[in-house]
Amino acid sequence: MATKKTAPKSYREIESVKAYRRLMQGYYLMATHPKWFGKKTAWITSGGPVEPLYAMGVLPFYPENYGAMCGAGREAVSLCETAEAQGYSRDLCSYARLDIGSSISGKGPLGVLPKPNFLVCGNNICGTVIKWYEIQARKFQVPLFFLDTPFIHKELTDHTIQYVRRQMEEYVAFLEKACRRPFSEKRFLKVSARSVEAVSLWKEILELSRSRPAPFAAFDAFIHMAPIVTLRGTGWAVRYYKKLKKELENRVKNGQGAFAREEIRLIWDNIPIWYDIRNLSQLLARHGAVLVADTYTSAWTLKPLDLANPLESLSRSYASVLLNLGLEHKVANMSELIKQYQADGFIMHSNRSCKTYSLGQYDLKKKVTELTGKPGLIIEADHTDSRSYAPSQVEKQIETFVEMARTR
Amino acid sequence: MSQKTSFLDLIKELAKIADRGWSEVATHLPPGRIPIGYFCPYVPEELLQAAGTVPLRLMDMPVKISHAQAHLPAYCCHLVKSSLENYLRGDLDFLQGIVFSQSCDTMKGLADIWTIEGRLPFQFNLMVPTRLNSPLARDYFRIEVENLKAALEKKLGKISDESLKEAVRLFNQIRKRLRTLYARMRLDPGRLPGKGLAQIVQAGYLMDRDQYLQLLTGLLDSWPDQSAGKTPEVPLYLSGNIVHSGDWFSLIEEAGGRIVYDDLCSGARTLRLTIKEEGDPLDALVDRYFTNYLCPTKHQGIEAHQELLLKEVQESGAKGVIFLFYKYCESYYFDYPDLKKLLEGKGFPTLLLEIEDPSQAREQMKIRLQAFVEMLS
Repeated sequence: MATKKTAPKSYREIESVKAYRRLMQGYYLMATHPKWFGKKTAWITSGGPVEPLYAMGVLPFYPENYGAMCGAGREAVSLCETAEAQGYSRDLCSYARLDIGSSISGKGPLGVLPKPNFLVCGNNICGTVIKWYEIQARKFQVPLFFLDTPFIHKELTDHTIQYVRRQMEEYVAFLEKACRRPFSEKRFLKVSARSVEAVSLWKEILELSRSRPAPFAAFDAFIHMAPIVTLRGTGWAVRYYKKLKKELENRVKNGQGAFAREEIRLIWDNIPIWYDIRNLSQLLARHGAVLVADTYTSAWTLKPLDLANPLESLSRSYASVLLNLGLEHKVANMSELIKQYQADGFIMHSNRSCKTYSLGQYDLKKKVTELTGKPGLIIEADHTDSRSYAPSQVEKQIETFVEMARTR
Repeated sequence: MSQKTSFLDLIKELAKIADRGWSEVATHLPPGRIPIGYFCPYVPEELLQAAGTVPLRLMDMPVKISHAQAHLPAYCCHLVKSSLENYLRGDLDFLQGIVFSQSCDTMKGLADIWTIEGRLPFQFNLMVPTRLNSPLARDYFRIEVENLKAALEKKLGKISDESLKEAVRLFNQIRKRLRTLYARMRLDPGRLPGKGLAQIVQAGYLMDRDQYLQLLTGLLDSWPDQSAGKTPEVPLYLSGNIVHSGDWFSLIEEAGGRIVYDDLCSGARTLRLTIKEEGDPLDALVDRYFTNYLCPTKHQGIEAHQELLLKEVQESGAKGVIFLFYKYCESYYFDYPDLKKLLEGKGFPTLLLEIEDPSQAREQMKIRLQAFVEMLS
């Protein structure tokens, strides 16, 4: 079309996105038709230990990832409304509401989701998931394994590690019972090795944006994070991230950024506003601002597993994900990101649907600015429920903030 | 003083204590005891008592929120907002410490903000496990409780087994009397308005527990023998989290209902904390959280909340159930639709009332309450 040629694009498309789409289409084909592939499926929380599932040949399905898909596709509100009609408060997490709504109505981008064989819930990301998974366990009448990872205000204690580790052993026993076959240590090590490799690749990919210009914006990471969440532990994730990394390394070599203009570098905090990613990306681009890193996608740069002691290190790793850490750790993490990515400021999404991420953001902002001298902005929204979002107000806040960051 | 006068005087005294603001609480501390704050029944009060403290429960004092807005988003419950407000205003500066317990995400966030502000000389975050149907969690929690004991000992001196057993007996006696009080209220419902009962229970969180036991004992001893007569109100069960104000009970009574039992976190639910007095007291303190269902922030199986609530409602003789929840309390709101469905399926109509700021907007709920009670009459 002629109009496409008139204005040069400020955003540089990622070529690997085609491979990404094929990969995720393949994954969702399996997730929606597990019987075609002779697979059992487990619904699992985004911070749940997936490696033992893959080791048992079980296909994980991530309701939160599905929530992001519904949000980005603007299908979340109608699914939330279905849950609300059943009595679920609008103040509840919209990922949970839409998932419950989808289970009730059988609607959503993937249609009727197949009944899971069992559920695996880890509260290292929030307390919401406990209630959400209890509801789904009652609805589907399937077993629920709950991995309890006590919150770490200050430091990870030995008795916490032991508690989580012993539960990992229970998890293995639970899987053996659910799958009616023994757990293969050998296969688990193989899966863990792939997981380590994928996590390392993802970490390296994100770190490439320490370069100026950043080859991979946070908005890209929000999309391309799907394999590290859903396919961690598979060869597919490793192959895909190798390809993506190669493309981005070439960008760095050629001095190409994700955006043509990169005058202001910013960090994003919290889950994306899935239904407004494109708009916010364009808004920032118009002002020469790029989100070069974020606290969300970097949460999957888990501590590397020690293959000599996989269950112990799995416990340590899953117990200490960012969302299970106190404010002191979050201040250190954000300050480090600002330093490593040479950021000029940070935008924090105060997310009605995620209290665990959002509580303490005002103090976090103050502390990080004190430590780094960089300004922060808090915007209010919900990760998938667009009814709790005032875009023009947020746009004005961002425009003013970017100009302020430019003059500092 | 006649028996009747004495009874009424005790009611008035307890109501006065329940209505104290923090400044008044601070001026009525028992000599020689250190005031320590806490929020949640998962904090073993007995351990705090044995350490020589007076455990004071933070349970949403009426206060205008202004300072807390600079720290919290709007979507937090009023308990958290008002407690932080009290803290930031300096109302709680008389406390020598605070014990947080891991419950919901908002409370976890509050604990961190509390630490950053650092106004109190002592803070302990008791990490209560969430998976309370697991022996592994029990082992973990035992260590956490031992750590709390060690932290208290470091600050206040050795806690002997005997002092802990004594504290266990004291709290058991208090719960025993409260249980008797609830039973008396069923047998003699015209004797005391629901608001009075709520105030009696609440007073216990804000005062010296030895004195509280004496007041409760006096109250039961002076309870008139003759029944005050039958009341025409519709019996209801009240389910929810903390209710800081007895005015909710008055509102229900004005609408023609009467609460015959509750599972409020500030009410009858804490009666489940009674423990055995034999054996190792720390073990007993730990075990009770695994043998009783207390809070929907915890996991004790997928049906635990439903089973217990249905049982209590059936036993209470209530005709319907009122859910009274703080707005933004995720755990309750997640459980609500299935609880409602279950209860209504068993013939117990339900009504949900949502509290944002407990000191406001009660009147608008009156019409809904009246309609609900009328339906049950």
